[in-house]
Amino acid sequence: MHLLEVENITKRFGGLVAINNVSFHIDEGEIVGLIGPNGAGKTTLFHLITGFIKADSGTVKLRDENITGLAPHKIVNKGLARTFQVVRPFRHLPTIANVLVSLKSPRGSRKIEWLKTPERKALDLLEDVGLSEMMMEPAEILAHGDLKRLEIARALATEPDLLLLDEPFAGLNPIETDLLTKSLQTIHLDGHTMVIVEHKLHALMKLAKRVIVLHYGEKIAEGTPEEIAKNKKVIEVYMGTGK
Amino acid sequence: MVRIYFRRIHKDFAQHVLDVPSRLLALLCFPLLLAVPLTQTKVYPLVTMTLATTMAIFAASWDLLVGRTGQMSLGHALFFGIGAYTTAFLTKFYELPIVVTIPLGMLTATLAAVLVGFPSLRVKGPYLALVSMAFPLIGTGLVFYFRDVTGGEKGIWGLPKFFPGYGRVETRVGEYYLALILLLISAIIVYKVANSRTGIVLVSILDDELASKACGINVVKYKLMAFAISALFAGLAGGFYAHLMRVANYDTLGLNLSFLPVILTILGGLGTIYGPIVGSYIYYVVGVFVLDEMLSIPSEWHILFFLAVVILFVLKWPRGIARFVTDKLEDLSEEREIEERGPHIWKKYRRKK
Repeated sequence: MHLLEVENITKRFGGLVAINNVSFHIDEGEIVGLIGPNGAGKTTLFHLITGFIKADSGTVKLRDENITGLAPHKIVNKGLARTFQVVRPFRHLPTIANVLVSLKSPRGSRKIEWLKTPERKALDLLEDVGLSEMMMEPAEILAHGDLKRLEIARALATEPDLLLLDEPFAGLNPIETDLLTKSLQTIHLDGHTMVIVEHKLHALMKLAKRVIVLHYGEKIAEGTPEEIAKNKKVIEVYMGTGK
Repeated sequence: MVRIYFRRIHKDFAQHVLDVPSRLLALLCFPLLLAVPLTQTKVYPLVTMTLATTMAIFAASWDLLVGRTGQMSLGHALFFGIGAYTTAFLTKFYELPIVVTIPLGMLTATLAAVLVGFPSLRVKGPYLALVSMAFPLIGTGLVFYFRDVTGGEKGIWGLPKFFPGYGRVETRVGEYYLALILLLISAIIVYKVANSRTGIVLVSILDDELASKACGINVVKYKLMAFAISALFAGLAGGFYAHLMRVANYDTLGLNLSFLPVILTILGGLGTIYGPIVGSYIYYVVGVFVLDEMLSIPSEWHILFFLAVVILFVLKWPRGIARFVTDKLEDLSEEREIEERGPHIWKKYRRKK
């Protein structure tokens, strides 16, 4: 049994086929990278899996349970959380309250240990991503890198089995990238499975054990980072044919 | 030496008393409100102040829905009207006591909110405002259609007083204090809800609905909840209003009444809960005692005056009067670190540190 199984998923926007018959699976404990040039359909694929966009055909299964077409919040409560490519913080709320929103969801509130207040748990989560000092500040004033980490803390608060990260390294400087890489490694050690969409291949290759490559909505390659780096088709897609 | 002493006293005062400006403000204002019947012994000013108190409940309930959840409702009079009509109907035709009818009116308003909420919460922003505006109009239509029950233009009139067997002034004084107690109770409940963990989720819906969904929040459920709680207190205000005026007529479903909480809330401060209460008293005191009695401007011009004031506030002080005052008090006690906009829920956490 795979943790996540996507079968022949297809999405058309008018005449454009954004995702064409893509199938893949994620196993428990993996970190899988999802790469591809701009417009390859990576974010669309995330939207399809998490229910923000309805697929035209195909199925998404989480632990053999069909979750295709469920409402986004229901999918989150089944244990599949995501972050957004463009950060979407709750600007009026303090950093800690941003996490409290997730802890108020059915799944998030169920997993709070006995004798532990949600505030305490939220603080722990903020500590995990290195934001505990900013807990009282409104999310409005946080820097971009902090907001990226806040998104991850918010997703983690729903206690996901599988975490989908949409470009977590986008817009981060090298130091922040290193910090986030370490945080993600810790999160992985805590037993979270992850799928990471990323353009910064260098950062991704450090984390991912398996990489899936999308191009114009089609899966063109899958394998270990080393295999992908040598794959002719992938090089062609990224660099051109050289003719 | 003396100056240093005074400075220290001022600092202590600023730190310990001014640190909780909104509570301090409430503390200062409430005795003032309690003392109103001591200075006013005529019926008209007393009724005006009671009306201001009733509309404060109404506006605070609107603020929970719009200021905190961001669900733009321009048809809040629907719940007010349903509260008023239900109470009037039950008192007039079944002769139930007021203690029973007003809660039943509140429940009917809540029920209506859930029924109305299901279709109207599918749309967002300006569309929601338009859809919500339509419902009180439908209500007005129904009132004129079922004339034998609702009394048509005349409404259901001749409702009993809250305190039968007392003189005119005594009754009005009693009503005023009753209204104040109801305001205190409902304001505390609304404020507690707005600042609870549920309140945080409501603000998250205001900020970013999609992100709330990604946090596993059933957005429709929380919106409906905000609608229902809001309608509950709007229904209370409506029921009280019907007995205060001794009549429930189609005005309680009118467009004027739908826009009143908007004016009061923007005047006082959107998303604060205590803002609309302050706004309500300012509106009625300025409107009746200054514009009407001192300057004798006809009441048709009042709405124009206040709309001009609201436009001025939106442009110049979008945070409202109440928050303007609390900010000034805070500036006395400590430098405000961040110019925060919108609901300042985070203060609660800052104090816990």
